[in-house]
Amino acid sequence: MTIDAIAEAPATRSIALTISPWAVLKWVVAICVAIVAVFPIWWMINVVFSEPGTPVSLNPRLYPTSFSAGFGKIMMIMRETDYLKAYYVSITYSLLTIVGVLLIGSMAAFEFALFNFPGKRLMFAVVMLSLMVPTAVTIIPTYLLTAEIGWLNTMQGLVVPGLASAFGLFMLIQFMKTLPKEMLEAARLDGASHFQLYRYIALPLSKNALVTLAILTFMKTWGNFIWPLIVAPNPELYTVGQVVGLFNSPYSHQTVDVVMTANLLAALPPLVFFLIFQRKIVEGIAMSGTKG
Amino acid sequence: MIAKKHIPHYMMVLPFMLLFAVFFLYPIASGFFYSFHDWNATTTARFVGIDNYTRIITSRDFKKAMWNLATYIVITVPLGIFVAFCLALLVDSFKGTWSNIFRSAFFMPVVLPAFLAATVWRWIYTPNFGLLNMLLGWFGLPSVSFLNDTGSMLYALIAVDVWVSAGFNMVIILAGLKNIPTDVYEAARLDGASPLQQVRYVTVPMLYPVLFFVATYGVISALQVFDVPWLLTGSSFASYGGRSNALLFPVMDMMGRGFGALKFGQASAYGFILTAIIILFTAAMFVFRRKGYDQ
Repeated sequence: MTIDAIAEAPATRSIALTISPWAVLKWVVAICVAIVAVFPIWWMINVVFSEPGTPVSLNPRLYPTSFSAGFGKIMMIMRETDYLKAYYVSITYSLLTIVGVLLIGSMAAFEFALFNFPGKRLMFAVVMLSLMVPTAVTIIPTYLLTAEIGWLNTMQGLVVPGLASAFGLFMLIQFMKTLPKEMLEAARLDGASHFQLYRYIALPLSKNALVTLAILTFMKTWGNFIWPLIVAPNPELYTVGQVVGLFNSPYSHQTVDVVMTANLLAALPPLVFFLIFQRKIVEGIAMSGTKG
Repeated sequence: MIAKKHIPHYMMVLPFMLLFAVFFLYPIASGFFYSFHDWNATTTARFVGIDNYTRIITSRDFKKAMWNLATYIVITVPLGIFVAFCLALLVDSFKGTWSNIFRSAFFMPVVLPAFLAATVWRWIYTPNFGLLNMLLGWFGLPSVSFLNDTGSMLYALIAVDVWVSAGFNMVIILAGLKNIPTDVYEAARLDGASPLQQVRYVTVPMLYPVLFFVATYGVISALQVFDVPWLLTGSSFASYGGRSNALLFPVMDMMGRGFGALKFGQASAYGFILTAIIILFTAAMFVFRRKGYDQ
């Protein structure tokens, strides 16, 4: 560490040398915190990939010990429970939500960010105010409305009420405000229709923001527990979150190995997403925080 | 003529505004209506005035939930921000690859859905063969049933919550740290400020708006805590809140009244009480912030 510091900043050499006990402490703390942050996830993986039934005293599950046992458990869950169906429901729910949020959000953001029309300020103000209203107030009345329309236990009941995302709209507006207006003007002079401006200029140029929003929406939908719990109580439409809840319920009588396998399967998509899109996710969250 | 020119604009915002009106504005209005009615979703609603509100406020569960919530917020929010702030400083002090590696490691828990964090931690807390009790065993300490002992339940929840939220807040604070110009630190250093003094007199004041956002957001989401305590206590609509309601929180109480007891009028009223609290809290924080600036 000190060597790095010296290489980085030769001018501050003396400082780097005098703070070296600090540097050691810093590394120790950073590594300890990293262990605390990652270990529960690591432990979950180890419990899955170890022979079931070995007492903790003999195998404390600090590292994976049996890959065949792990795959065996995964196959068992896939075969004997409706986990695959829940996967299918959760993926459909997430994909439809992403497509919907992106489509209607980008259409509205395009107008709010780049044009002026009567009533725009009022609409914008109302939507932005809604960011302050907690989900807690709307969730029960929204459920009652969904029930009234007859959408309980349907995919549209899961998806549609969540599509008008004020957060997503806000994020896209912030981004689209920075689009070059001259390009839109030039395209209009070339005879492009209003919709073509959106489709062929604004959308491609907003790709970055759209990808970030898609990833954040995926994380949120995959992790949504409360809405599927009340709107789709029918086992036919259980999401992964609900199935995990069942495995973990006090009445489930499953062994810790099986429960952890169910948990790991639910964690896999977001973890893989994170490993691929790390930077986008972190930037997206940082952006929502510093601009909000 | 003028109106016709604007039609394309309205067409484009229509899908969003329509869904927004139907699934956001209308439910708020109808929820307000139901909050003054006795209604179980099947019979016709009966007007009861402010009965729902008074019943909630005078109920024992409400008081217990509010007390739990207050204790929870007072500990979780400052602790969470403190941890996140330290983590951000820590990550920021590393260079290049290591900075990225530690940032990713600290951020990892945020990626897990909250329902998963709760279920994994439930097993870590398990008496006898859970990970935490195994650690206690190595030090010769007796096994604790963290999620069944009313004295430790709240702290068990807080630990999970800080574990989950620290990485999220850290990323926001890190972005704020990057916006502080380095010459400010340079000037402080020339004036003989120690690293700790630099944090106290440069970093914290410069980060004030970001920390304020993190605190406000933290309080608002803490007021609505649901998934984690619900799953830690193995709750269902028939029975929730854990042993002697030690982990009963307002949103859990609200959902229980709605879907357990089928008192949707009361549940709607509960939502408005919570909103009122959230608005008061946010307003108080903004006033507090204004005062902080004036000084």
